Amino acid sequence: MDYIWSGIKEAGRLLLSFDKEVYKIIILSLFVSTTSTILSSIVSVPMGIYFGMKEFRGKRLFSRLVYTLMSVPSVIVGLIVAILLSRRGPFGFLNILYTPTAMIIAQTILVTPLIFGLSYSLSKNRGKIIENAGKTLGAGKFDIIILIIRELKVDILVNIVTAFSRAISEVGAVMIVGGNIKGHTRVITTTISMMNSMGDYPMAIALGIVLLIISFGVNSIIYSYQGED
Amino acid sequence: MKVSLNNIKKYYDEKLVLDIEELEIEKGKITGIIGPNGSGKSTLLNIIAGLDRKYSGTVTYDRQVINKDIYSKMTLVSQKPYLFRRKVYDNIAYPLKIRNMDKTEIKKRISEVISRLEIEELKDKKAHLLSGGESQKVSLARALVFKPELLLLDEPTSNIDPESIKVLEREVVKFNKETGATIIIVTHNLEQSDRICDNIVYLERGRVIS
Repeated sequence: MDYIWSGIKEAGRLLLSFDKEVYKIIILSLFVSTTSTILSSIVSVPMGIYFGMKEFRGKRLFSRLVYTLMSVPSVIVGLIVAILLSRRGPFGFLNILYTPTAMIIAQTILVTPLIFGLSYSLSKNRGKIIENAGKTLGAGKFDIIILIIRELKVDILVNIVTAFSRAISEVGAVMIVGGNIKGHTRVITTTISMMNSMGDYPMAIALGIVLLIISFGVNSIIYSYQGED
Repeated sequence: MKVSLNNIKKYYDEKLVLDIEELEIEKGKITGIIGPNGSGKSTLLNIIAGLDRKYSGTVTYDRQVINKDIYSKMTLVSQKPYLFRRKVYDNIAYPLKIRNMDKTEIKKRISEVISRLEIEELKDKKAHLLSGGESQKVSLARALVFKPELLLLDEPTSNIDPESIKVLEREVVKFNKETGATIIIVTHNLEQSDRICDNIVYLERGRVIS
């Protein structure tokens, strides 16, 4: 049991002394996951809302496909991106495998079905009511889009945060396409996984605490926002 | 605005729920649509409001088919209205803002309509937290404030206390007299239709009986 306690103490020291390596890992994790979530949201939120409200043939099957893709395993995404970006792959000429860019691409692909699916489900359930309310008051198409986004903004934000949480906590995709290279592509989850296999618990615990703090912080912001609304 | 319906047929899962050969809603009058549950009253109102487009037949408004201009001149107050997640004042201001009305006129119109409907105390409350009856009053205020030429009311007093019903009925009639708007009201309440309607349409199993 001693090694757990000493691990926690050492984790505290690493965090409070602003250990360069630890903070580099934290910053890269935040950068990769935030960028991929933002990039995905820009496309997936409006698309999800649009398809959720649009009536078309085969919408039921489409819904099932969307919901299935929401739970696609991260290693599968990592594998596909790695194949595409590998030297022999179709995008090998870009030479970006084992870089943060590849990690952003993989996480963007990973969270896109999630943000799209949650926005799709949200607008499918509530978008029509809002659209009808706007229509009956004389709102044009553009007014209705603005109205829907304004009315659903808290839920949309919660969905984006859910996707961010998935991105920052996943290990499979970033491990495969990033390679966990020290000082270059090492992020919180890949470090925890590696440190655990090496039996080096202090760093793993320190980063585990940071992951929990990030998760707590993000959720607190959302809850306070929901409360105000 | 005169509303004419011709050969309207509406199906839900192959079941015919509305079958209207011909119906004319007189311009500038209050027309009541009455009938038992499931007779197609709300379906008819949704078709007239342009919210339900899956039907056969034609609906014209002063001889025009539905278009952007018609949409901007009519409104529907539903039984369970959707109020936006903002203050009551901002809800009532919404139809005026999207019509680019200036702020002074917006203030003037809102203060007039909330005074008429006796809802001054609700002005600063969050609209989506109101009770059913309060929501109906606010929804009516939001409809009257932009002075539509066609006002569709789907059981607008179903959740309201008798005192407030009097106020709402009084204001609906007053609005009709002052603006010459055409009003169609779906109601279960025969006494209410007798009190405020100029014409009555009786629906049964989707057909106009009288």
